[in-house]
Amino acid sequence: MNVYIAYGTAADQVTALRLQALAAVNGLTVYVPPAHTRRSSEGTEAPLQSESKLIESDVVLGVVTVGVSDTCWRELNAGKRLGKTMVVMTPPTLMTQLESHFPGCIVVIDEADPGRSELELVRFLKKADMQQQSKKAVMALSTIALGLLLLSAHE
Amino acid sequence: MRLARPVAVLDTSCVIALDALDLMPALAMLFSRVLIPKGVRTELFRRRRTKDRLVALLAEFAFLERCDDYDRAAVDVLLVERARRGNKDRGEAEAVVQAAQEGAMVVIDDPGGRELAERHALDCHGVLWVLRSLCGLELLSAPDLRRAVLELKKLGIRLPVEQVSDLLRQVGESPV
Repeated sequence: MNVYIAYGTAADQVTALRLQALAAVNGLTVYVPPAHTRRSSEGTEAPLQSESKLIESDVVLGVVTVGVSDTCWRELNAGKRLGKTMVVMTPPTLMTQLESHFPGCIVVIDEADPGRSELELVRFLKKADMQQQSKKAVMALSTIALGLLLLSAHE
Repeated sequence: MRLARPVAVLDTSCVIALDALDLMPALAMLFSRVLIPKGVRTELFRRRRTKDRLVALLAEFAFLERCDDYDRAAVDVLLVERARRGNKDRGEAEAVVQAAQEGAMVVIDDPGGRELAERHALDCHGVLWVLRSLCGLELLSAPDLRRAVLELKKLGIRLPVEQVSDLLRQVGESPV
């Protein structure tokens, strides 16, 4: 299964890279766009540098903790347009902003309440319209991401 | 329980070795930030190939950071002292001073640089420690570890022979 990680800002890339490393040993192919895509101010009309990776992916996983860069917005929108399975993990502070654009795709990660985050993930997976195999992979990946995000809050 | 991953400062030879093994992204598993001092960048910029690689790595990975804010006087003092012994490696001296300033670990392979780091009571490790740590996290398999060691040998990057053999034996591989 191919996973594309649309991380919010350059600060989130380290979590995406850890997820990539852990997923790779479990047979998942995870693509993490380079950090410069979050730093440059490329025009919003310019094609995404990693559009082909988005097209190849089965799942688009959003990892957003402090903000959403233009490129991340465009990647998430492209994932939605392409009909990809989408999971966007974000803290309560950004939930409203993201939920209105990506309804049904949001899993709230609350470092102050890890139990709520677990419940959110379970609820999301129950509702998600996916084949059993994909569901298992997304569950594994999302659980690792949940752990990494909760731990990264302490760094 | 410590949850935060440490910060590390890398020396020139370690950047070259870890990049040759394509293990730079895996450093994100071990560290929260990896600092590349100016002296190290200057050394890597002397050759076109290493310059291009460093520029690409800094563009690709946000956790790799240029680090220019350090006590230059402390580096100069170390360099004067080391020059008397015939060693003028500014990259190593900067790596040690920056690691001391940041409370960071220093990843350095050169024996002189390690001695300097130890004199500053720094947490000091080399490429072999990185390989061992990635093996411990099961991000690098035993055969991959062996391949990595052979690759470094082929590239002329020296690692402590006895420690390499010990590590290979520990993971069930024959020594090289």
